Amino acid sequence: MKLQGMRTYDHDEIVDVVVIGTGAGGAPLLARLAQRGLRVVALEAGPNLDPEDFTNDEVEAPRINWMSERLSGGETPTAFGPNNSGFGVGGGTLHWGAFTPRPDIRDMRLHTGSDADAGADSGADWPIEHADLTRYIVKVERTIGVSGPTPYPWDAERTYLEPPVDRNAPADLMALGCSRLGIRATDAPAAILNHDREQPHHGPRRGSQNLGSIHQGERFGTKATTANTYLPAAVAAGAEIRPDSMVHGIERDALGRVTAVVYRRGGEEFRQRCAALVLAGGGIETPRLLLNTGLANSSGMVGRNFLAHGAVQVWGRFDEQIRGYRGYPSALISEDFVRPADASFVGGYLLQSLGVMPLTFATSLVRGAGLWGAELVDALDAWRYSAGIGINGECLPRENNRLVLSDERDEWGVPRAVVTFTQGPNEKAIDDHAAGTMTSILEAAGARETRVLPRTAHTLGTCRMSTDPGEGVVDGDGRSHDIPNLWISDNSTFPSSLSANPGLAQMALALRTADRMLA
Amino acid sequence: MTAAEGTIFFLPGLGFGAAAAEPIAEAIGDRLRVVGMDLPGQGQAPDAADGTVGAMVDAALTRIETESDGGPWLLVAHSMGGKVGALVAARVLSGRANVFGLAGAVLLAPSPPTPEPMDDDKRSEMLGWVENGSLSAADARTFLDQNVASPLDGTREQDALAQVQRTSPLSWRRWLDTGSREDVSDAVGVLDLPVVVLAGEDDADLGAAAQPHLLSGVYPRARFVSLPGTGHLLPYERPDEVAAEIVRLWNETVPVSPELSPEWGRLIASDRTPVETRGLLARRALADDPGHQPSALSSAQLTILRALADLLVPQPAGRRIDLAARIDADLASGSGDGWRPAGLPDDASAYRQGLDAIARVWPDSADDQKRLIRCILEGEPIGGAGGDADSDTDADLLKHWFEDLRTDLARTWVAHPATMARLGFDGFATSGAAAVPGYVNLGAGVRDPWEPAGLGHLKTEEADEAGGADDAREAGETA
Ligand SMILES: Cc1cc2nc3c(=O)[nH]c(=O)nc-3n(C[C@H](O)[C@H](O)[C@H](O)COP(=O)(O)OP(=O)(O)OC[C@H]3O[C@@H](n4cnc5c(N)ncnc54)[C@H](O)[C@@H]3O)c2cc1C
Repeated sequence: MKLQGMRTYDHDEIVDVVVIGTGAGGAPLLARLAQRGLRVVALEAGPNLDPEDFTNDEVEAPRINWMSERLSGGETPTAFGPNNSGFGVGGGTLHWGAFTPRPDIRDMRLHTGSDADAGADSGADWPIEHADLTRYIVKVERTIGVSGPTPYPWDAERTYLEPPVDRNAPADLMALGCSRLGIRATDAPAAILNHDREQPHHGPRRGSQNLGSIHQGERFGTKATTANTYLPAAVAAGAEIRPDSMVHGIERDALGRVTAVVYRRGGEEFRQRCAALVLAGGGIETPRLLLNTGLANSSGMVGRNFLAHGAVQVWGRFDEQIRGYRGYPSALISEDFVRPADASFVGGYLLQSLGVMPLTFATSLVRGAGLWGAELVDALDAWRYSAGIGINGECLPRENNRLVLSDERDEWGVPRAVVTFTQGPNEKAIDDHAAGTMTSILEAAGARETRVLPRTAHTLGTCRMSTDPGEGVVDGDGRSHDIPNLWISDNSTFPSSLSANPGLAQMALALRTADRMLA
Repeated sequence: MTAAEGTIFFLPGLGFGAAAAEPIAEAIGDRLRVVGMDLPGQGQAPDAADGTVGAMVDAALTRIETESDGGPWLLVAHSMGGKVGALVAARVLSGRANVFGLAGAVLLAPSPPTPEPMDDDKRSEMLGWVENGSLSAADARTFLDQNVASPLDGTREQDALAQVQRTSPLSWRRWLDTGSREDVSDAVGVLDLPVVVLAGEDDADLGAAAQPHLLSGVYPRARFVSLPGTGHLLPYERPDEVAAEIVRLWNETVPVSPELSPEWGRLIASDRTPVETRGLLARRALADDPGHQPSALSSAQLTILRALADLLVPQPAGRRIDLAARIDADLASGSGDGWRPAGLPDDASAYRQGLDAIARVWPDSADDQKRLIRCILEGEPIGGAGGDADSDTDADLLKHWFEDLRTDLARTWVAHPATMARLGFDGFATSGAAAVPGYVNLGAGVRDPWEPAGLGHLKTEEADEAGGADDAREAGETA
């Protein structure tokens, strides 16, 4: 994005707020604080990119992902790299799928809402009112441009300002299968523009190009990122964004309040003084920084409660060429399974139709289905005839699912993160239920054969919010229980994973935290 | 006459035009189409706007773009054409030309990307020849005599003399004054494609003895061939040997690599494909070096990796990608995937350890090899004296590394443009400079008009066919 001519601040100037990270959690907050007249600086570890810097090539696209190695353990290790992390001005929104369901009220009351039997295993409630969050969500949808169907089958109140994007073949087939089974399904809400729009402070964004390569980054501004929405607004309001700046230290005064951050840029070390600090580095980097600096962890909860959404997929093979790499990848949604009637588990899942890019599909066949040899090649040859459906499913916290520091250091001298993740019985039960549902939908649509590909997605919960300071790292506003001028605004604060994908809710939470900081 | 298997684009040296390709074309026969080119001021071509090598490159690429059919081609370049050719190859391999299919280059006594070593007296003598316009018959003969080891036969000689005299004095002067002195080595960089460099033992500054020194840094895969009793005018002096080397390089590269049809090649070449992607695909399409010297792995480790690759991602016999060599190069470049299983060392070390452990117990028969693979996949210890994989933990780590290996192999195979075409993926041709950079028709069985024909039928053809997909589209919202 354009950073030339932006306002800049001295390292010695005590700016009002430093924000670490420019993704879904950092950017909306940065914009709001700047618009209210605060002197704010964002430090972003990754580069600043122009639209032409994005590529549709899957081998090269990880330039927008956090590629510094993370170590992954447990029985269902989390894949990082392109799968799970943003890098660069725009953070995870550069590569996100822009699928934007709103959180369901039941998911925010997971603990109280689930029956007593589930007991300690039943997750945590959000210390935030659903209606409060929804007010902010509506603002985000307006600002970034979310398309979707009105009326929305699961929420009569809701309206979308833009009509939905075009359906591709997997969406058509999922719609057919659902209709034959009496499952409600409709066009997905997506942060993809249907019409050209002039984005304030950014410029023209083009209406839908039906590109299937949006996870690799997108050149035309059709997909909303923070780099074509909130960040230009922030810069226009006087915020400074420093790319290629990796924060690795936090300084405090005698009272324990944050006074400055230390970061590395181009091999040089800098210190930026600040009156308040917001961590928005995401579900892995924020707890890594806190564990490394030993801060804000009187609860012992930093790095604990690591959550990864269930993201199992089912693929069906059809007679015609589906070629689901065309068009918006997840153009159809069903929210019928947020609380399935026959569920034996806590929580539920959302369904979305799926088209994927070839290397991504190959990776899922190898890692998810364990295929090799002729069977792998046959499955790849069948890809063009295949349509998929996937889920975003609830994940409950477990004792051993957590992030700790390794002995090994990264290129910035910071200990690497070791993330251990094993899906528990609740996650497995959700996966099984979902695999059954998706298989029947595909069969009803005429699939000749189907294949289940297990996966997980997103990194949540590692600095969760809580009312009780012993149960989490920040309060419902995002403020540290321990350090009054330290805040967190990213996916690490999610007390429970929600069946809705996290991006939209994250941007809404960021605006809300900004308001609490200004209060 | 059968259809040619591919094309040779010939860039002549100073004083010569397209006609200089004829002796080589005759020697090659019908198998390959030879397209000779007139660089600016040579042959029939008008002078360029300026005397830079870049202006010659523009002219050459315009012609190649027009003549290319999307299928495979080799660049053959003589002398001055060699400098032009280096820049042509650099542009093609970085995607900055609307062409696809470059498989390699045969360079004949080429002028290097650096300033051409040239004696000052020789330069002034040659400049003197064009002081009063085109070269005289006598000067043309002197030029020819200076550049051949022994006289050419009659008709060839007449032909060569005629071409030299036809050269525009301006272009002659420009090459000697500026073009030959230009240093384009930064723009050329390192060109890692299959290359053969032929040069005469009786040539001077651009002769066989000088070439390795001038070019091995530019073309790391170059094979240098010296021709005894040969001067500088290889296209006329040694057309049979040149033709034989062209055919040999062709055989070593094109028919052994996965085939990509010209229709797909044209799509990659088109403006629909973004420049960077076109370059990536051009480089991935190059044949692997059969003599690949591993840099992250040992030769033994590379051998076992090749054996594993054959079983894990089997390719059709004959036309193959050396997946193992490509992974070795990736490991050496340190490009990882952003994570690794806890307990494993860095990627390259994990590969070395894992391959060594497998090598210790690698059986001879294919069935046993597959059994061993299944064993690894199950996380069972695979044994082996002093093996790392004896305990359960080690077997578990081996299994995790093996998953990374299988993923790397599959991704490397799929990333090749010929595999993309095989799998029916044309998404590389989106996000380019086209007015509508994405897709319009998204339904099952249909395609956009610009897409390869095998990917479906056009909307207009659809009327006759009743499709399940129409049903699906009508089903619409099902609330
Ligand atoms: C493949 C994929 C697809 C997705 N699709 C969707 C979707 O369709 N819908 C949806 O709702 N969500 C989706 N998500 C999730 C969504 O992207 C995340 O929820 C969201 O980006 C998280 O926001 P964040 O602010 O927590 O972190 P991020 O957006 O990842 O931003 C963190 C930023 O902080 C920077 N940073 C980290 N540490 C430091 C440091 N120490 N110093 C300086 N900078 C630092 C990073 O470089 C990064 O830019 C997807 C995620 C993935 C991986």
